[in-house]
Order: sequence, then structure tokens, then C-alpha cells
Amino acid sequence: MDTHKKDELEQEFSELACYMVTSARNLIQENKLYGPLRLVDAVSRLVDVLEKLDLKSPRLEVIQGRIKDGEDTVMESEEKFTAFLENLVMDLVPLMQDRK
Amino acid sequence: MWEAIQGRRSIRSFRSDLVPEDLIRKLILEAGIWAPSGGNAQTWRFVVVTDHDLIRKIRMVAPGILGNPPAVIVICQDLDEAERKGSKLGRDVLSLMDTVLAAQNIMLTAHEQGLGTCHVASFHAGALQKIVGLPASIVPQLLMSLGYPNIKTQAQKRNSKVVWFNGYSQEG
Repeated sequence: MDTHKKDELEQEFSELACYMVTSARNLIQENKLYGPLRLVDAVSRLVDVLEKLDLKSPRLEVIQGRIKDGEDTVMESEEKFTAFLENLVMDLVPLMQDRK
Repeated sequence: MWEAIQGRRSIRSFRSDLVPEDLIRKLILEAGIWAPSGGNAQTWRFVVVTDHDLIRKIRMVAPGILGNPPAVIVICQDLDEAERKGSKLGRDVLSLMDTVLAAQNIMLTAHEQGLGTCHVASFHAGALQKIVGLPASIVPQLLMSLGYPNIKTQAQKRNSKVVWFNGYSQEG
């Protein structure tokens, strides 16, 4: 990996780390559903980082797409958000079995 | 007015088009600061961030910002001045109310201008102060994502059983 790419990688992951640490701090006093929301949002951001590093893959795109399609249900109801997460887990299982 | 109130949505996905700075200034100076202000304190301060790198830094400490807004308004209060003008109530309560009232004016007017907004309370105030260069007495109370909406969203259901005339009753 060349130096420029390495610096970019370090910058992107540092930003993600800062986002996750700030989330951890703020979640102490926030809506309990925001914990799972921040986790799946962090996954989506991680996929963005990997894409910038030319490490995108069809299944990562699928995972991110499902998250973006469903994460707003947190604003609708706990039931809908829970169902979205439940379906997300079950949809991911077959994707994870594709390990080469 | 009814359309703006009922048509406005919280937008969390934005097009990359930039919002003209003159328009943002107008939203603040011809809508935001015309909100009612407790004791006429007007201790609100607005820091507009359109610099892409600075927005990236803000997003690191503002988990509530979703999507990639081309502009973020940091709505702050000068809490020292708020206390001088309104005592403890002014500092602790009225300043926050003023912030929200100004934000609502901006959000409704932005909607009328075809813009989308999302108000965000999930951020770390101390970290944000450092990133934006705010002195200790200028405290960020609310962030507002601003940009052209990328998607249309549906309104959430409203609970209409929240109004009583001439006294509260437990019965619906």
C-alpha cells in the first residue's frame, strides 16, 4: 500500500472512530433505540470507507442498501425498527455463508 | 403557512448541490431572528458551515447528522449574555426556547424555498465548540442540516388526542 493510500485509510478510520466514541458518550443520555441505530449507521459508514479504498463488494453494497432503506424506521416505532433489525440479521446470514 | 407546517419533513438524504450562501443568510436574517425571544434577549448566534472538510469534522462529533448535507447551521446561544438579560431562567430555559423557535422559522422558510432540513440534538457540545472555534460562553444548542432533498419522505402519524379546552380531563 502506498503512503498516500495509507494516510487516507488512517484518516477515514480515525473519523469513524471519533464518530463511534462520540456516539458512545452521547448514548448514555439518549433514546435507547439510538444505540442500535448508531451501530448500524456505523456499519454503513464503514462500507463507505471501504468503497473509497476500492474495497467494495456486492454483499457489502447489499448490507448498506438494506441499512439505508430501513434505518429511518427508528423514527416510526420501536416495533418497526425492531422488525427492520430482525430482518436485516436474517438477510445477512446467507450473505455471510458466501465466504470464499 | 399550513402547507409549510404540514409539508415539512426531517430530511436525512441530500443532493450534492450547494445552497447559495445568500439564501442561507436570508433564512437566518429574515426568518430565524424574527422568532419570538424570551424577554427580547435575542442572544442567539448562528454559525453557518459550508466548508466540506469542516462539515466532515462536525459529523465526527455529531452522530445525529445523517446523510451528507452541504450546509450545517450551528445554532448557539451566548449564555453569559442570556444570564445577564434573563437571569437563571434566561440562561437555562429561555435561551433553549429561543433557539428552537428560531430553528422552526428557518425550517419552515427553508421548506418554502425547496430546501430540506433536519434539526439535530445528538452532538457533543464541547467537541463542537473546539471544531467551530466557539468561545466558552457561546454554546451550541442545536444543529441543522440544510440542503436540497434527495428523497421524499412520508409524514409520521400525529396523535390528535392531545387537546383539552377549559381544563384537563383523564377521559378521552
